[in-house]
Amino acid sequence: MTSEPRAFLALDKGAATVAAALIGRVAGRWRLVGSIAMPADAQLEAVISVLGDRVLEAEPEFAAGLGLRPGSVLELPRLEVASQGPGRLAVVAASARGLAPLVASASRSGWRTSSGSADAIDPLAMSMLLLDPGVSAILVGAADPPGVDERRGIGELAALVAAVAERRPDLTIILAGAMTDHLSAFRDADRRSGEIVLAPAAQRDMPGGPLADLLLELALPAGDSHRSLGPAAATLAEVLDRQVDIVEIGFDAGTRVSARPNSGGGPPAFDLAVVPAAALSHAEPDDAMVDRVGSWSTWGADRHRLRDRLRELDVAPWSDAAGEGSALRMAAARAALARLAERTSDWDHRPPADLVVAAGGAWAVASAPAVALAIADVLRRPGASQYALDHARLLAPLGSIPDPGERRAMITYLLDDLLVPLGTFVTPAGLRSGRSAGSMVVHGSDGDTEHDLQPGGLTRVRLAPGVEAVAEFRFRDTVKLGARGRHFAVDVAGGLGGLIVDLRDVPLNLPERADLRGELLESWEQALLHGPKA
Amino acid sequence: MSATGVQLVSVRQLVASPVDATFRLSPGDRPIVSAGESVVVGAPIAERLRDPRLDTFDIAPSAVEPEPGARWTGRARRGDGHGPIGEYMFEWHGRWRVATGDVTDPIETPFAGIVREVRPGTGITIRAAGRGIPGVVAFGTPTRGRLQAGAEGELRSGGLDVGSAGTILVVASRVDAETLTRARAMGVRGIVVAGLSSKERRDFLGSEARQRAALHRLPPFAVLVLDGAVRRSLSGAVQALLGALAGRQVAIVTDPPMLIFDQPNLVIEPPPIDLVRIRAGALAGREGRFIAAIGPRRFQGGARLEAAIVHLPDGTEAAIPIGDLERYV
Repeated sequence: MTSEPRAFLALDKGAATVAAALIGRVAGRWRLVGSIAMPADAQLEAVISVLGDRVLEAEPEFAAGLGLRPGSVLELPRLEVASQGPGRLAVVAASARGLAPLVASASRSGWRTSSGSADAIDPLAMSMLLLDPGVSAILVGAADPPGVDERRGIGELAALVAAVAERRPDLTIILAGAMTDHLSAFRDADRRSGEIVLAPAAQRDMPGGPLADLLLELALPAGDSHRSLGPAAATLAEVLDRQVDIVEIGFDAGTRVSARPNSGGGPPAFDLAVVPAAALSHAEPDDAMVDRVGSWSTWGADRHRLRDRLRELDVAPWSDAAGEGSALRMAAARAALARLAERTSDWDHRPPADLVVAAGGAWAVASAPAVALAIADVLRRPGASQYALDHARLLAPLGSIPDPGERRAMITYLLDDLLVPLGTFVTPAGLRSGRSAGSMVVHGSDGDTEHDLQPGGLTRVRLAPGVEAVAEFRFRDTVKLGARGRHFAVDVAGGLGGLIVDLRDVPLNLPERADLRGELLESWEQALLHGPKA
Repeated sequence: MSATGVQLVSVRQLVASPVDATFRLSPGDRPIVSAGESVVVGAPIAERLRDPRLDTFDIAPSAVEPEPGARWTGRARRGDGHGPIGEYMFEWHGRWRVATGDVTDPIETPFAGIVREVRPGTGITIRAAGRGIPGVVAFGTPTRGRLQAGAEGELRSGGLDVGSAGTILVVASRVDAETLTRARAMGVRGIVVAGLSSKERRDFLGSEARQRAALHRLPPFAVLVLDGAVRRSLSGAVQALLGALAGRQVAIVTDPPMLIFDQPNLVIEPPPIDLVRIRAGALAGREGRFIAAIGPRRFQGGARLEAAIVHLPDGTEAAIPIGDLERYV
């Protein structure tokens, strides 16, 4: 008998749903035994008990081998992450020009932002903005050295913020760039309960720089589920030796991670963006937000009805997940993903990831091909990528393991269980419409199959999970598929959606008319879910 | 059958206690209570500047150095009892910016309680003497009135009469903007409703903004939405509680959205632990008894969701996604 645990729980306590996974040691390695997801305000102990009961009922001997008996699952060690819910950061600057890069950095660093510049709003309005009871930190910044438009107002702005800091000693104050020179305006800095933090200037056209990293540190504590996805993606990239992207759409924020293995032998690198504006739902969806969801919706609701449904989604995000509710979620998830992509558009020049992992509760109610299609609809990059789903929401808990060696070992053990392969998307760009674009031959283990490539649609080839093949493309004209050319051979891997050749426009052009748009979206979904399969 | 099954169902609070309600202040508004003070119903707690502005003043060298947030009193003009008042905001180049204004409106508390926190320019928090029924959103201004049961289903503007002046009306399912506007005009103090659609909400808020711009001060009126934005009847537990409160004085506050009542002798029986309400889907609004969690099942549109069997009052049983259920505690 060993004292080492033979099982543990991985818990991801999201803002809308809680996911629990039971990991057990089987034949000398850790495996996923079972998982469950329930509404966030269900009793956690009850959720874990149900998971344990199901394992005991399904495989009593196997459960006994893990040391499980009725009720004992509650005593297992827990690896736990939670979504903390974004705080509000008031971002102010002396000029609108100086404000823009600050907001760009802050809005992808785990903060909800409200902002204003001294040249656009008067000091009274700015004081109201900063004294709002919902604000938990203030970012005040200027370029370094300050621009011509900033110099005149920077001193008065520092005095205004210092006065607010005196009134609200609980607020964290972040002075960025040339604003750090005005630290002396902040009296009694040592006696405040909130920190005063000196930060580098925001860099124009580089929203993910050192300032964003610092803001992420301040926004999200260790053990936050969004933040933990960064180390998880980096470890996955290292283990697979592939470039990995994670796109998470959660109830309170969207997260995107881009990780690549380090060829130099050092630790793998990753970029992390946590964007509260890319959350699945918002309490007060504005017209732009509603219209964006409407543009992905197939059920033709008017703006008012759609707004009602989005408000309901915000009040009870776990509810109404079948039928129209599922379609609404996928439309809202696409809209959120588009916001996430916009906030991380500086990553667009990078080569497409080898593996794109969908994570977060938003995808939980959709079929695997529908999830893959939703991502391919929005993140349109010419190239070939394999798509997968973090079905048991294990990535964030595993990413929270502090020791890189342990994290790597655990992810290596769980690699076969961690992700559901959705399939491989091959997306060429630059196709001419109206005639056959060429042909594709899939060289698989059980022979070759040939397919005609029709521009504007999706061609799906059945390729089971775990099966690998080579897809050979011969295009009539030069296209972009990673590189420019007419003849390509691409290694592809199977999944629940198989191999999908996406011959639609890059970026996607949708009709203006709602009915035509709805029909087109539906036809693509049907092609993927039920269309001709080879 | 799982003994813990019903605990998988999402929980809503029927009654919240204690209730800390916040009254928002802007720079220049003058709090007239301090932390620890008791306040009675209708007591003024602050003065709100109607049109605040920022003025710049020199401070006499002999004067005590002011602090941001401290009160400023200007020199009285001839014939005035007191000078203009305001709030020190910040100092720049030896001069102080002061938030001030000419006309103030009183902010009154619609419930009794103890002041917990006063933050000039930010807000006043009062712990209510009493308990509250939480809603999902409230808008308007904190208000008080006698609770009166309204329409069973949808309340139409023609269904209002002057006898409702001074009351807070309970509307079982839904109300439109015209009715809200008419209710306010007839002296109704507030509406409690299960669902309010986005269109009606926007129209009513637009109407209120226009009224506020044209008139000077509107009587307090608030709308408390208990459930959401779609048509849905009130839950049985909430209906029973509101029924017990009918005819008594209650208050609506907006932060947090809540109906506050001070009835210490009112005994509220907790709903049966297995009583659940169906929030969405074809059976939305119905209530029944939770029988068992049955694991994942496939529902409309192919969605595979965790489900439970619910016994309905008509004797039938239905498999419902657990996410569509809620229970009150």
